[in-house]
Amino acid sequence: MACMWYPIGFTVAANPSSAVVKMDEDGTATLLTGTVETGQGSLTILAQIVAQELGIATDDVVVVSADTDATPMDTGAIASRTTYVTGNAARMAAEKVKLMLFDVAAPMLGVKPHQLEAKDHKIVVKGYPQRNMHIADVANHARVVTGEPPIGSASFNPATVALDPETGQGKPFGTYVYATQIAEVDVDDETGEVEVIRMVASHDCGTPINPMLVEGQVEGGISMGVGFALQEEILFNAQGVQINPNLTNYIMPTSLDMPEIEVDIVDNYDPTGPFGAKGVGEPTLVPTAAAILNAIYNAVGVRITSLPATAEKVFNAIQAKREAEPKQITA
Amino acid sequence: MVTVTININGENRTATVPPETTLLRALRDNFNLPGSKLGCDVGDCGACTVIVDGKPINSCLMLAAQADGRKVLTIEGLASMNGVHPLQRAFEDCASLQCGFCGPGVIMSAKALIDENPDPTIPQIRDALGGNLCRCTGYVKMIEAIQIAARVMRGETAEVNR
Repeated sequence: MACMWYPIGFTVAANPSSAVVKMDEDGTATLLTGTVETGQGSLTILAQIVAQELGIATDDVVVVSADTDATPMDTGAIASRTTYVTGNAARMAAEKVKLMLFDVAAPMLGVKPHQLEAKDHKIVVKGYPQRNMHIADVANHARVVTGEPPIGSASFNPATVALDPETGQGKPFGTYVYATQIAEVDVDDETGEVEVIRMVASHDCGTPINPMLVEGQVEGGISMGVGFALQEEILFNAQGVQINPNLTNYIMPTSLDMPEIEVDIVDNYDPTGPFGAKGVGEPTLVPTAAAILNAIYNAVGVRITSLPATAEKVFNAIQAKREAEPKQITA
Repeated sequence: MVTVTININGENRTATVPPETTLLRALRDNFNLPGSKLGCDVGDCGACTVIVDGKPINSCLMLAAQADGRKVLTIEGLASMNGVHPLQRAFEDCASLQCGFCGPGVIMSAKALIDENPDPTIPQIRDALGGNLCRCTGYVKMIEAIQIAARVMRGETAEVNR
């Protein structure tokens, strides 16, 4: 077993994200963001955040991303920061749009703007769901009657306090995530070969905005962690040239090496995150190797202190332990 | 130069290529089918997997000339006018791919498996994907999708239900 905490975003250094949201006259919204989708699903998450804020469907949000000339600045899809930092910027930009729509709808519905909410594609009087206007009608009215097109922009930079060089005190990150992973391993004490049979991963990432994507991140992180723990190693010759610069002998996990994985998402709420979300990216692989090496110790009583824990290392450690132990003479 | 005629996705295609041209290069460069990916080019990663006469092969390890007169199925041959293949649908619904580079190869390996064994067990699926490297997903949701697609293809369920 291994536990960890991990920060979201850069250490003290500024790492802002900006976003622009606009609502069109058909009730769909467009989000402009500088962040990039690499398959982790971050643009889906951002669309979900904007949709939730505006009370529309995720499919009604068009995301335009990663054109550094046309989209607002984003520090990047790094440091496990997209959901938290870019997500906050997107939510705040969408909130501005929503408040503009409230200002336009309030006199038509005969109430004050703060008495309104956005849900089910409508601007609704709180507590009186029958008193509503379709969000597309409000957006169109804002464009062609009041002349205030509903467009919002916002930037978010995690609030930090620089570390004191003498005491080390400060607040270097906006938020932290926590996780525990448990490994079950089978160690062959005649060969030193380790097989990971099962991993259970429990992750607190704040509100899981898209649980299926959280699972995907955790499962992927564990596969990298299994490689880190047992297989992957860059080897150099005496001249410093890598001798395994290919996938033939730089060994990464295949489907046959992967354990059964159980993902446990700890539903939590961080008041500084968009709808309570924090992040899940790099943290997924942080405790994996430690959990596997602790499980090896639990199985055969040897501590492996360098990675990867190859069969050779584990076998040598088992041999050394046997030699150090007093011989048992059977009766 | 050699002239090859290959039945690709049900259509006879002919090209004249240098003899050292791999099937993968021919598919991508001569037949304009870039769905099969060029990853390692030495048969380690499986991103170039296609089905030749019913068997999944690394198209980077087969010469185009060796495929002459054979039937080749690539990822482009799966979807039809009626929609995507059940495997593609299941992979989409289960979020089985992340960056997606390994995807065409993984799906072709899975297709070859299900064609031969319509009701594969999890160990059989893991074995079939053993030659397809994926850095993002841990293979978990791929295995899940292949089981679902197999059920759909056996006619046990009409929809992909996760």
